[in-house]
Amino acid sequence: MRLILVDSPDEVRGNFYPLALSRPLWELRCGFNSLEEKLIGKVGAGNVAYFVPDYMAAAYRAKVDCPVNDTSVLEGDDLFIVDPRIKADSFNVAGDGPSEVGLDEQGGVLYARVAKADLTELATEDIGKFMAAAKAKLPNVNSGLPTWQYIWDLVLANAEQITTDFATAGRNGVEGVVEQPSAIRGNKKDVYIAQGAKVHPMVVIDAEHGPIYIDEGVEVHPFSRIEGPCYIGKDSVLLGAKCREGNSIGPACRVGGEVEESIIHGHSNKYHDGFLGHAYVGEWVNLGALTTNSDLKNDYSSVEVMLDGRRPINTGSTKVGSLIGDHVKTSIGTLLNTGSYVGAMALIMATGKPLPKFIPSFAWFLEGIVTKGFGKSKLYETAKVAMSRRGCQWTEVEQDMWNAVFEMTAPMRNKAIKKGRRAMLNR
Amino acid sequence: MATVEERVKAVTARVLKVDPDEIKPEHSFTVDLGAESVQSVELVAMFEEEFGIEMDEDAALSVETVGNAVEFITEVCAEQGIDIEQ
Repeated sequence: MRLILVDSPDEVRGNFYPLALSRPLWELRCGFNSLEEKLIGKVGAGNVAYFVPDYMAAAYRAKVDCPVNDTSVLEGDDLFIVDPRIKADSFNVAGDGPSEVGLDEQGGVLYARVAKADLTELATEDIGKFMAAAKAKLPNVNSGLPTWQYIWDLVLANAEQITTDFATAGRNGVEGVVEQPSAIRGNKKDVYIAQGAKVHPMVVIDAEHGPIYIDEGVEVHPFSRIEGPCYIGKDSVLLGAKCREGNSIGPACRVGGEVEESIIHGHSNKYHDGFLGHAYVGEWVNLGALTTNSDLKNDYSSVEVMLDGRRPINTGSTKVGSLIGDHVKTSIGTLLNTGSYVGAMALIMATGKPLPKFIPSFAWFLEGIVTKGFGKSKLYETAKVAMSRRGCQWTEVEQDMWNAVFEMTAPMRNKAIKKGRRAMLNR
Repeated sequence: MATVEERVKAVTARVLKVDPDEIKPEHSFTVDLGAESVQSVELVAMFEEEFGIEMDEDAALSVETVGNAVEFITEVCAEQGIDIEQ
């Protein structure tokens, strides 16, 4: 059986921006790992293929070893085609079996299990037509499967997911080094410190309210406090961090200050003091000293987020922090409002006031307004430098993808720049 | 209509808060007129607004002197079909 992950159309992917601007939905993380890893773990497939939006196909192809946007994978094997928004923990459909198409409540296809014998009935020239033919010609069932609807769903589910993933991993104990005096509170069976991890003296690992998994090569500096549930990814460093419950950090992040119920993708830094709560942070982000986000409104009402810069969406939750895209850089003292959207590649130079709730991708936020700043090529130069410092390379295909993102996000950015110009003229 | 040079000087004076009569074509925005990096961004933005043009950020920000800015903006206006007083 071949597992095929098919990314959603743009109108659905927009619910997962700014993180999904530069990655397929299955690369989003919750708990210990990505949605893809969870789905593969559940389905048990060894043979995987992907269909991603065209603009990111070349860049994604360079990252993975499996076929990307290759319609030849729609032949020659039993297929299990899956929408990555399906919550893996509830996905109890066998990958092998007779052909069947599972629908959501609106009649959208969440999965299509296609027996090899039925493939001849289906068009194969593109994935969209293939899925439409599968829905039309194969037996349909109302799947009733729960799905991730918005990016903040992952943040809000993170603590529980860490607990589930800890149980699934089935590991506990100390294989790394814990230097004394340090304290492990709660049940020691709820703590795993992997080989190569190093916990310095004067660290508190508090598993009283949830498990803590410290992965290989992690270093925890003195005066850090880690509360469970928590996952610290490989080669990350905690620098005297107050790491509150519900965090998934890393790999290869450097985190200090206070962090609560947040997901931070790889190679991002929040080195210094400042509070980050109920936030989702992309890759290669640098949050300057004292960058702080609000995750709770003063009147305790539900947080609204503007994913498209126009239409506020009620999250239904009183706790939502910031959604921060890849390669964002914030200056010292940046104050992010509750439910802020910071687009990918944005650069923020704070003024001391809370920022607007929507900062477009590639925006240079200077002196309280969105500007064109020094342009995207300067942002690319910065990204190259940041990546080379960690032994990673900025590639041409990656730049092509970002150029496409730049174009896609131009309307909202240009609107914000115009507004900024008006403010500039009135100074 | 004022000339490009007069308009460039007026914008520069407003953004950098200097006397327009003291601005010379050979003046460097940074060394002589004290433009900091953020003000360079503001200058480019205000030149675009003044002349109704779109400038490439890299090219615009590499312009060093007032005289070079006049030449650069004149070229951009010509390329983009904007009427100006030479």
